[in-house]
Amino acid sequence: MLDLIFSTDFFFAVLRITAPILFATLGAVVGEKAGVSNIGLEGTMMISALFGSLVSYWTGSWMLGVLVAVLLGIITSLLMGFFAFILKTDIILTGIAVNMIGSGGTLFLVKVITNITEGKALASTTSLVTTANQIPAWNIPLIKDIPVLGDILSGHCVLTYVAFLMVFITWALLYKTPLGLNIRSVGENPDAASSVGVSVLKVKYIAIGFSGAMAGLGGAFMSMYYAMGWSLDMVAGRGFIALAAQAMGAGEPVGGMISALIFGFAQALSIKVSSKGIDSNLVTPIPYVVTILGLVVFALVVRRRIKKQHSAEALKAETK
Amino acid sequence: MSKKRKFIFSMVRGLTAILIALLVAALLIFISAEGPGFAEKLSQTGDAMKRLLIGPIIKSNGSFSVKNFTDVLAAMIPIIFTGLATCVMFSANQFNLGAEGGIMLGAFVTAVVAIYVPLPPVALPIVAIIIGAAAVAIVMLIPAALKARLGVSEMVNSLMLNYVIMYFIKYMLSSHLADTSKGAIMTYDFQAHAALPQLINNGSKLSWGFVAAIIFVVIITLFMYRTRWGYAIRMIGVNKDFAMYSGMKVAGVIIMSQVIGGFLAGMGGGIEMLGRYTNFTWTELPGYGWTGITVAILAGNNPAFVPLAAFFMSYLNKGCSLMSTYCGVPAQLIDILQAVIFVFFAAEQFLSGYRQKLVIKSTQEELKLQAEREAQHNAEAEVK
Repeated sequence: MLDLIFSTDFFFAVLRITAPILFATLGAVVGEKAGVSNIGLEGTMMISALFGSLVSYWTGSWMLGVLVAVLLGIITSLLMGFFAFILKTDIILTGIAVNMIGSGGTLFLVKVITNITEGKALASTTSLVTTANQIPAWNIPLIKDIPVLGDILSGHCVLTYVAFLMVFITWALLYKTPLGLNIRSVGENPDAASSVGVSVLKVKYIAIGFSGAMAGLGGAFMSMYYAMGWSLDMVAGRGFIALAAQAMGAGEPVGGMISALIFGFAQALSIKVSSKGIDSNLVTPIPYVVTILGLVVFALVVRRRIKKQHSAEALKAETK
Repeated sequence: MSKKRKFIFSMVRGLTAILIALLVAALLIFISAEGPGFAEKLSQTGDAMKRLLIGPIIKSNGSFSVKNFTDVLAAMIPIIFTGLATCVMFSANQFNLGAEGGIMLGAFVTAVVAIYVPLPPVALPIVAIIIGAAAVAIVMLIPAALKARLGVSEMVNSLMLNYVIMYFIKYMLSSHLADTSKGAIMTYDFQAHAALPQLINNGSKLSWGFVAAIIFVVIITLFMYRTRWGYAIRMIGVNKDFAMYSGMKVAGVIIMSQVIGGFLAGMGGGIEMLGRYTNFTWTELPGYGWTGITVAILAGNNPAFVPLAAFFMSYLNKGCSLMSTYCGVPAQLIDILQAVIFVFFAAEQFLSGYRQKLVIKSTQEELKLQAEREAQHNAEAEVK
């Protein structure tokens, strides 16, 4: 069992599996910081995944595919924002609607679109994404020659590196820029933010747009590298897991990354175990179970910390 | 605003939402239509829209189609139950999205009881359905208690549970409960006397489950509006803090609402299973949970309107499947239609300008009436 886990290809798999969850998690983090619960991440990823794979097939350029995926992610989430902020639909319900479109709606779209362009209605784009138009892998010079570490860190899809880079960028955006300050203040107290001249609406649009862009990257990763093509419900709850990772990571980029890594680990483990002949139906749900357990543990820890704080304060008050 | 005006407003608003959705549908069908010219595409779109809108009741020769209509009624059964479940949970402001997994688990547990437990006729289906419903109610305790005690998001947990339930059932289907004599993954047949009797024997599978669904609509409506528990659920949904300070046991009610929701979803699954199938074959989440959420939103979380909303969704669904059979438009159009109707119905500010106008009109009329009354009063006083 242990030799199964402590192999270089296992840790390589952990990073690969974590990447799409990490993208969505960062989207959820920025959204929540501005007080916007984007539960449509799942559906947004599906929509972006579909069009990313189609565009890369049509143009033969993976970069254009990723670009379109990101743009569609932004458009989808801005539309969500329009319904939520202007027409005052509950943001959770807007997210559910996006997820409906992401599930059956994308299947409708892929059938209709391929019927026009390919002459026959395809139910997936797995035949369209090949090694020629997938997102390429990158061997990091120097690092790739280091034993063990090189095998784990080098040779990943370009977007995997982008995902981990985005953790830093998101952190810098939130804590080192005026925009980040605005995002946090809008999330914490929109009235106070608006009283000092921050346009709450604009900041919320930026935040949800950012989360859409992240979901777009995650979707592109899924269809143009991870699964090599779009198929129905391929995102398989990663957008939802990202919401859990956001909560478990205390709403911070780095915390979110750690939580996303935990899910990546759980899923890599389940893949490994099922390759040993154990029924995949038993091990596939492991990440979902880990999510529930993780949320519970996190809630317990937070509660204990708050209790400790309270008793410490009470002690202080007494000694005074 | 007067009651009549409010009613007119909500009707206009609902119809506009549906109209927008149909326009979107027409546009999508038009794009997907095969044909060289604009005119051909247009006529194809017209044909497809006709199938969608009147197909579920009218045959192509213009006569009333009993079979299609009973199909629509039969398909209402599971979504009435998930709709009711969602109404109860959303009324308490609990965004539990577990009706999807709930209906699958309910169907599965009921199926297992219907296969293996030796019980006499009449008792078997009833016991099987109740056990299925109770199983889901117990599972819903997980997100409910975690929310009430630890404040963990019931939404994320219920979504995760949906997947866990699905894989658990797939595992049981492919291992312990599989009928290996058959080619596909399925269980053994239910005992013959487990089947729910049909209302009409025309292949629509319109069983007595439909009657049960309507009875539960009445029960849940009475529960929500005529009992103190229902009142507590609604009050917590409106203002949790107020409910807490007025002495309600908020945690208990939060748990209760989700347990009831789970029970209803599970019952829907059991009834669907025994009313429609002879063995269990579901290997994917059936989607009734999501439709149930749409139904609850269309009904404004009022259980009394659930049958109407369920009829509407079931009708549209049938229309879409007819359209895909006869006109080659993929049936998944329903998901896009559903999403569009859904967001416009849930949009508080949708047509708010129109509502504003109605409010102003009402106020002006009232003021005018008041002024007239005063004038009359003054005139009377002068005469005296």
